[in-house]
Amino acid sequence: MVVAFDSCETRPAGIDAILSGLDRYNPETTTVFQDYIVQQCEDRTFDCYANLALLKLYQFNPHLLQPEIATNILVKALTVFPSPAFSLCLSLLPAYTQPFPSESESQSAQTSDFVESVQKLAHLSSLLESAQYAQFWSTLNSDDLYADLVADVAGFEELVRIRIAVEVGKAFREINADILEQWLDLRNREALEKFVIEVCSWEVENSANGTVIRVPTNKENEARSEVKSERVDFDMFGRVIRRGFEQAA
Amino acid sequence: MSYDERVNAHPNLGDESDVEEEALVNDYREQVNFEDGMSELDRTTSLGGASQTQDLQAQLAAAATPLEYQATLETKFASYDNYCSLFHYILNSDGPVDLEVPSYYWAWDVIDEFIYQFESFCRYRNRVARSGSNEEEAQLLRENPNTWGCYSVLNVLYSLIQKSQINEQLAAMKRGEDPLAFAGEYGSRPLYKMLGYFSIIGLLRVHCLLGDFSLALKTLDDIEMNKKAMFARVMAAHFTTYYYVGFSYMMMRRYGDAIRMFSHILVYVSRTKNFQKGGNSYDAIAKKNDQMYALIAICVALHPTRLDDTIHSALREKYGEQLNRLQRGGPDALPLFEELFRSACPKFINPTPPDFDNPPINVDPVDHHTAIFMDEVKNTLYNPTIRSYLKLYTTMDLKKLAGFLEVEPEKLRSWLLINKQRSRQIRWVENGLLGGETVSANDLDYALEKDLIHVSETKAGRRLVDWYLRNLARVY
Repeated sequence: MVVAFDSCETRPAGIDAILSGLDRYNPETTTVFQDYIVQQCEDRTFDCYANLALLKLYQFNPHLLQPEIATNILVKALTVFPSPAFSLCLSLLPAYTQPFPSESESQSAQTSDFVESVQKLAHLSSLLESAQYAQFWSTLNSDDLYADLVADVAGFEELVRIRIAVEVGKAFREINADILEQWLDLRNREALEKFVIEVCSWEVENSANGTVIRVPTNKENEARSEVKSERVDFDMFGRVIRRGFEQAA
Repeated sequence: MSYDERVNAHPNLGDESDVEEEALVNDYREQVNFEDGMSELDRTTSLGGASQTQDLQAQLAAAATPLEYQATLETKFASYDNYCSLFHYILNSDGPVDLEVPSYYWAWDVIDEFIYQFESFCRYRNRVARSGSNEEEAQLLRENPNTWGCYSVLNVLYSLIQKSQINEQLAAMKRGEDPLAFAGEYGSRPLYKMLGYFSIIGLLRVHCLLGDFSLALKTLDDIEMNKKAMFARVMAAHFTTYYYVGFSYMMMRRYGDAIRMFSHILVYVSRTKNFQKGGNSYDAIAKKNDQMYALIAICVALHPTRLDDTIHSALREKYGEQLNRLQRGGPDALPLFEELFRSACPKFINPTPPDFDNPPINVDPVDHHTAIFMDEVKNTLYNPTIRSYLKLYTTMDLKKLAGFLEVEPEKLRSWLLINKQRSRQIRWVENGLLGGETVSANDLDYALEKDLIHVSETKAGRRLVDWYLRNLARVY
C-alpha cells in the first residue's frame, strides 16, 4: 500500500487548500493551524504535514511562537512512534531549544520553561524510539511537569499504549504477562487482560508458570524463511534480441 | 553470505542502464562543445545596444558571479539590492522582458548564487551574533533585519515559478501533452522557463537548509527524477538536485531511497569525470562528491544494502576503514558518525535575525540538526550487533544471547524490537517523492515466543539471467 507523507485522511479541505498554496507562509493562517492542532489533540487524530507547516510559520515569525502549541505538537508526534515525525518537528524548532543537550550545555545554558519542556519531551521520544517502554512510563510518572505537558492531548496514555502493543504484536508470538504489564504500564492483571483481549484481540493463557499472552499470527511475527527468486523482465533481453536483428540485417 | 560476497556476486548490477548512461555521456560531451559555440554567438549579437542594456548586461553577469570570499557586509547588502532590482525588473515589467542572457547556464548560475549568498549571509549573521565580538557589524546587521530576509528570498523563487507556469508545464509533460499550451506569455520564453525551473530546484535547497525535509521533497512533485529531466542538462544542477533529495530522504529515515539517489548521481559523475576536468565547477563537484560518499557510508551502515559495484569500490577506497567501523556499530562508532555527518551535511541556516544581545542563545543550526540526527543513530546503535549474532542461529534463547552480549535480558528485548522496527522502511514506488510503501529492508527476520527467538532468513535464489545473458553475448 502506498502512503504519502503529505496526505492525511482526517484533514479538512480548508487546511488542504492552505497547505498546497502560498498561504501556508501567511502569518495570518497561524491561528487556523493552531485551531487545527487543538482539534487534533481533542479528537485523537494526527496530521504531521500540517503541523510542520505551523512550525515553519513559527520559524519564520519567531514572535508568533506559542510554547504550549509547539509542545502539544511534539506530544502528538510522540503518539505515532516509531516514526521520523518527532525529529522532523524538532528540526523546525529554534536551535536554542537544544533538544538533546550535552552535559556541559545543560549545566551552562540559562533555560526557559519552553526549552525545558522541549528537552523533557525529546527525552521521552528517545525512550520510545529505543523501545525502553518500562523506563518511558516511569519517567512519565516521575514528574508533574510531564503530566502538565501531556494534559491537552486527549487519551495520550491510551494512544501510546496502543502503539506499544502494535510493536509488540509485530515481534512476539507469545509474551509473559509480567513483561507486558511493565511495557504497557498496566499494573493490575485485570486491566492488562481487559486491554489485550478487548483492544488487541489477543489471547490470555494461564498456566502453572504464570500468565502468557498469545499474539495471533500476523504478517510481521511469523518470520518465515523464504527464497526470493529472480525477477525476469522481457526488457532484460532487449539487447540480445536487438543484436539478433542487427546481425541478420 | 557476507555483505561483501553478496555485493561481489553481482558485479554488473549497473549494466541494465548502460545504454541510457552512454547516451547521457554523449549528451554531456555535446553540451561541453555546445557551450563554446554559444559564447561565440554572444559576442556577435549584443552589439549596438544602448547604454541601458549594457548596465543590465553588467547586472546580469554580476548576478551569476560569486562574491569574493572576503566580501564586506556593504558588498553583501549591495549584492542583495542588485538581486532585488534585477528580479523586480524581470518579474514586474509590463509583460515579459527581452533579455540576452550571457550564457546557456545563466539561469542556473543566478539561482544557485542567489541562494548561496542567502545561505552564507544567514550563517555569517548568526556567527557575528554568537561570537558577540564585532559590535560594529552587529549594529549594522541589527539595523537591516530585512536584508536577505527569508520571505523575500522565497518570494522571488515562488514568483519565478508562478510567472513561468513551470509546474503546469511539467505536469503537462508528464501527461504527455505539449507544455507550450500551458506556458502562457511568460513561460513560453526560455529565460522565464529556465528561471522558473531552476527556482524549483532552488526551493528544494532552501527548504532543506531550513530543516524542512518533507516540504523539500514535496516541491519536486512535478519533476520526474530521471536522466531525461531538464536539470540533467546542467551538471551542477543535476548534482545539487540529487544531493538535496538524497539528504532529505536520509533525514526522513528513508535510507534505501537516499542510497538510490546518491548512487545514481555518483555513478553518473564517475562516468563523465573525464570531460569535467579543467571545468571551473570541477572543484565544487569533487567536494560534493566526497560528501555524498560520506553520506552513503552513513546510510549503508544504518541500512545494509547491496550497492552498485562502482560505488562500492570507490567507497572502500575513500572510507574503507571508517566504513568498517560504522558497520560494526556500538558506542565506538558514534564519534565517527558525527564527524562524517558534519562534514557532509548542508550548511543549515536560521532564517531570522539572531538575538545580538544574547550571544550563547544563537546556537549554530548545524549543531542542532547534528544532535537530532545523532539521537536516531544512538537509538539504533546495536542493530549491527543483533544482526551479526542472529545470523548464526535458527533458534536462540534470549537469556543465553543476553549472556553472550553481557547485557540484561530486558535490554536485549529492546534491541530486538528496535532492529525489527528499523528494518521496515518506506520505499518510493512511483509519482511524488514523499510517497512510498513499507517494505522489509532486511533479509533477516525473527519472532519471539516468550524467550525463544525464532530466526528466519530470506535467501536470494540463484540469479541465472545475468549468467545466461553474458554467455549468450559471448557465443553469439
